[in-house]
Amino acid sequence: MAEVVLDKINKRYENGFHAVKDLDIAIADGEFLVLVGPSGCGKTTALRMVAGLEDITSGTMTIGGKVVNTLPPKDRDIAMVFQSYALYPHMSVADNIAYGLKIRRMDAAEISRRVERAAQMLELGNLLDRKPKQLSGGQRQRVAMGRAIVREPQVFLMDEPLSNLDAKLRVQMRAEIAQVQQDLNVTTIYVTHDQIEAMTMGDRVAVMKAGVLQQIGDPQHLYDHPDNIFVAGFIGSPPMNMALGRVEAGNGDLAVRLGAATLALPGAVAAARPALAGYAGRDVAVGIRSEDMEDARLARGGDDLPRLSTTVTMTEALGSEIVVHFVLDAPKVVTEDTKALEKDAHSSDVALHDRGTRFRASFGPRSRVRNGDEIEVVVDTERVHFFDPETGAAIRS
Amino acid sequence: MTATNEVVRLGSAKGGWFRQFGWRHLVGLLALAFSLFPILFVISASLNPLGTLSSSTLIPPDTGLENFTKLFGTTSFSRWFLNTLLIGVLSAVLSMFISAAAAFAFSRHRFKGRRIGLVSLLLVQMFPQFLAIVALYLIFAEITDLYPAIGLNTAWGLILLYLGGALGVNTWLMKGFFDTIPKDLDESAKVDGATHSQIFFGIILPLVVPILAVTGLLGFINTVNEFLIASVFLTDDSSKTAAVGLYGLISGERNANFGVFSAGAVILAIPTVVLFQFLQRYIVGGLTSGAVKG
Repeated sequence: MAEVVLDKINKRYENGFHAVKDLDIAIADGEFLVLVGPSGCGKTTALRMVAGLEDITSGTMTIGGKVVNTLPPKDRDIAMVFQSYALYPHMSVADNIAYGLKIRRMDAAEISRRVERAAQMLELGNLLDRKPKQLSGGQRQRVAMGRAIVREPQVFLMDEPLSNLDAKLRVQMRAEIAQVQQDLNVTTIYVTHDQIEAMTMGDRVAVMKAGVLQQIGDPQHLYDHPDNIFVAGFIGSPPMNMALGRVEAGNGDLAVRLGAATLALPGAVAAARPALAGYAGRDVAVGIRSEDMEDARLARGGDDLPRLSTTVTMTEALGSEIVVHFVLDAPKVVTEDTKALEKDAHSSDVALHDRGTRFRASFGPRSRVRNGDEIEVVVDTERVHFFDPETGAAIRS
Repeated sequence: MTATNEVVRLGSAKGGWFRQFGWRHLVGLLALAFSLFPILFVISASLNPLGTLSSSTLIPPDTGLENFTKLFGTTSFSRWFLNTLLIGVLSAVLSMFISAAAAFAFSRHRFKGRRIGLVSLLLVQMFPQFLAIVALYLIFAEITDLYPAIGLNTAWGLILLYLGGALGVNTWLMKGFFDTIPKDLDESAKVDGATHSQIFFGIILPLVVPILAVTGLLGFINTVNEFLIASVFLTDDSSKTAAVGLYGLISGERNANFGVFSAGAVILAIPTVVLFQFLQRYIVGGLTSGAVKG
């Protein structure tokens, strides 16, 4: 067990590509930290620098208080699980798991004891004599985990270990890995591009974009208080709805105009964001999570609730909720962040042109809205997010 | 649906059996005859006691093993044969190992001069070996003066020469194969604590056995059949390889010893055939399947 500290870590490749920029993260002893971001954001590079598989251009990396910048991987007391599992195809499962121990000339009795225990933990007991190619994807994944566990290292490093599994297995292995990590209480750095894995597994989540750390915190904090448009759009599924609105100040209270509608903001909202008043008369990016909107006919609290009027373009009934798509007559937010998010999702609302912004709202299952219905959408204004449309940063103090 | 009991055969729609499949058999048989003819001819010549080129026919009028007894009785063939095996096996094994080590470096490591090294290996291969034969002879004449043990007329000198010759092709061949083995395996072993040599011997070599078998076999065949350089380097009767020695049998008087020559050629083919049979099961791909992904 040990804490891992990345202090102003940089990675610049020989071709000039700056993959990781001034990365500062301190991972506490026994913590499960998830590094998440779109592909090419430098998260894997950062992990490989911790592993010692990639040189550190500048900065200081310490594991357990020891500077490891120039230490080879074998002297860092880490174990890594690869995206491809990297099992040795010519060795049996038992040999695969024991390889790292044999290399370190560990006592044979101790090796078999540890392999036994890891196999039991991961339910690999009856597969120990098999070769990797005789295993299913999930079993291979477990062997890769076993190989890391038996080493009893100070740090686990996992590089998208679940991305080769099918969706159902992924959910199951997600829980198993989290359980194993909890039982062993080993400091773990876990890289993924899947924000659901990040949310469900991490003690803390670090969101990266283009080599730069965007925000780090516990998953709920990231979800509730994103620091910028990128984090807001990346964390959460479906992603946060975002449109340009205009802040209006009148009789001491603030309101925001979204297209044809004007949403009055409660005093607490403005009080929590002193800087918002400074945006009066200007455009801001308004972010609304899908669950913070509700069918007006289901909402309790009468007619004076802030609401949007719109037409339903599509509904997705999920049983526990209905995801309602509609186009809001407010301009789209276009910043560096939204471009990066669209690129990651391989989507863009080109078809909408200037007609507005596509929104998704989660209605209660009792809602009866259908395609083409004219509806009123109630917005929980206490949970609306505001971002600077130029910098993308959250508007707070 | 009028004819209910009619069976429709695949491929019966147009043309006959010959147009569909038969012509391929014909081509195959022609190719077979074309490639088997020389072998049959040599075997029949080796069994033909008359032993001259002009008297050789595909089916000899008389058969016997006189040529074989003559081969071992009157020439140093057994010595030549052993020389050939020694040189063939050693240079095949050594070149296999050296090329594997070179391929490992070229495939796995990034260093200054890697690209230039690869390209020059390829370029050097493009020149026919006999262009260099004069230079090689002069070099080895010098070496013979200084270190007679690895000079002219020694198996060791020739092995050294063959090693250099085979390195280029084999390295390229192997590098291509090494590149197909996921780098994750190396990195995983590295994290597990393995050194470069442990990765090379423990992880990579077991996975490249097919290409080792191929290069080893090719190396052996090439060395056994190599004549030009061996004939220049090996002039002592006792140091000759079988190819050089056998050539000596038919180069002097006109085709007098053709039967004996054929007998030697037949025996010389045996080790290659045996080796191929032995390595055949290794010359299969798919060993790395299951290494990564689900």
